[in-house]
Amino acid sequence: MAIELQQVSYTYAERSLWKQTALHGIDLSIKQGSIVGIAGATGSGKSTLLQLFNGILKPTQGTVRVLDVTIKAGEKSPKLFPLRRRVGLVFQFPEQQMFEETVEKDLCFGPLNFGMSLDEAKERARKAMNDMGLDLKLLDRNPFRLSGGQMRKAAIASVLAMEPDVVVLDEPTATLDPISRAELIALLVRLCREQGRTIIIVTHRMDELLPYADSWIVLNEGSTAFQGSVKELAADPAILERCGLTVPQSLRYWRAVADRFGLDGENPRLTAESLAELIASLPAGKRDAHE
Amino acid sequence: MNDKLLLGRSIETGSWVHKLDARAKITGMLLYVAVILLSRSWMAMALLALFSIAVMISTRIPLKYFLKAAKPLRYLMLFIFIVQLLSVKEGSVWLSIGSLSLHDGGLRLGSFAVIRMLFLITFTALLTFTTTPGKLNQGLEGILSPFKKLGLSPDRITLMLSIALRFIPTILDEAQIIMKAQASRGADLNELPLKEKGRMLVSLLVPIITSAFRRAQDLVYSMEARGFRMDAPRSQYHRLRWGAADTVFVIMFVVMGVAVSLV
Repeated sequence: MAIELQQVSYTYAERSLWKQTALHGIDLSIKQGSIVGIAGATGSGKSTLLQLFNGILKPTQGTVRVLDVTIKAGEKSPKLFPLRRRVGLVFQFPEQQMFEETVEKDLCFGPLNFGMSLDEAKERARKAMNDMGLDLKLLDRNPFRLSGGQMRKAAIASVLAMEPDVVVLDEPTATLDPISRAELIALLVRLCREQGRTIIIVTHRMDELLPYADSWIVLNEGSTAFQGSVKELAADPAILERCGLTVPQSLRYWRAVADRFGLDGENPRLTAESLAELIASLPAGKRDAHE
Repeated sequence: MNDKLLLGRSIETGSWVHKLDARAKITGMLLYVAVILLSRSWMAMALLALFSIAVMISTRIPLKYFLKAAKPLRYLMLFIFIVQLLSVKEGSVWLSIGSLSLHDGGLRLGSFAVIRMLFLITFTALLTFTTTPGKLNQGLEGILSPFKKLGLSPDRITLMLSIALRFIPTILDEAQIIMKAQASRGADLNELPLKEKGRMLVSLLVPIITSAFRRAQDLVYSMEARGFRMDAPRSQYHRLRWGAADTVFVIMFVVMGVAVSLV
């Protein structure tokens, strides 16, 4: 397991009048080398959960186990430096994550901290820029002079440049145009399938991740409302509505087709192409019987 | 998420102090400063303490929050105490070590200074604890309105103040987010050596200042987009109302002032 949470709760501003419990008694496990989607209405605790994954927040109750590091509530945590090298976290608002004078310096920040030489770090920065489809000319630019979409890509690149084993992203596609969104998802899928990295993505656009995610976690008011494979989610998408989300189009289409033709045991087809293929492959008699 | 920062945060308990007119509370606080300065004996200090604590309790806000407000200044208070103790050479000597001698007067004045400061901070915290920033501003505007005749613009001052106060927590939150981002990329302030720590803190300044400017610009646009013009006549959502309780509140401080200067 890459990440395992046992009975984890997190309370902001504990011991004050403004205390607020963001997570209650979360149990979850994330397999190494898998793509995991996290969904949930605003304020359901998604961002808090992510910050537990690299020790930025420490659980106020329970145990968080990430790779070989264990962080237990109430105990002094081990040095988190090695953990942060292996778990890269992309925050929700990229403009709050860039702090150096040039994009290049920002991208080198992580690798340099983790003991890489300047040349190596620059090499990593270039590679990450290429991966994110950013023009290398932007390297000398001040991060605050980038457009919103470029800034987000640069912020993601700055984390990818550290080549972490676990990549955690908080709504990475939020301000990207449709083409960049698809490219980013494709890149992350490649990182997972080809290099065995674990990818964890919080998203409000479940549709774009559904065809690729191995499993999903749905949060509702600080607790896990669902945890399981896409197949399980596709069997009962209504759970999403109970959590204040809408059921994504691809799941609705799949449900409609599966209900009509009695395909419940099958793997869900969540792209237009695969669904069309499936319908076309159905025996003609079966298709017509319902007309 | 700043649990340490109490400045400018109101705590709603619905007590009688909460319901007072902000102008009464501001006037009360100004008078309280006078009361503190007029207290010059142990008896007066005791009276002051009794009165202050009684009013604080009547707000139904736990006393520890008032104490927390004074906590950041504990070293300053200690410093003032020590300076007074060492420098005042009045009254009888109660301790002397070599050339160093401590006098009664020093002990007395040092204690007074600390007590005054403690009550000044804890008690004036009551103003921000019991008044929402919006009401506080309105009160301030009301108090400053006589200065209009002198060509000053109270709305301008209070607008500036309210924006400044409103954005302190926002900017602190932002600093914290950047620190989290830095920690995520291997520069955790808690795990760095002291020298590096200083460098990291400095590196925070640039992005925070640029983002503050950006935020200011956005704020101007969004205010103008909603028809805000400086110095244009504006109606108010909440009206300030001066009631009998407000008069009583202010008189209470006047009485206290007289009382402490007599004992």
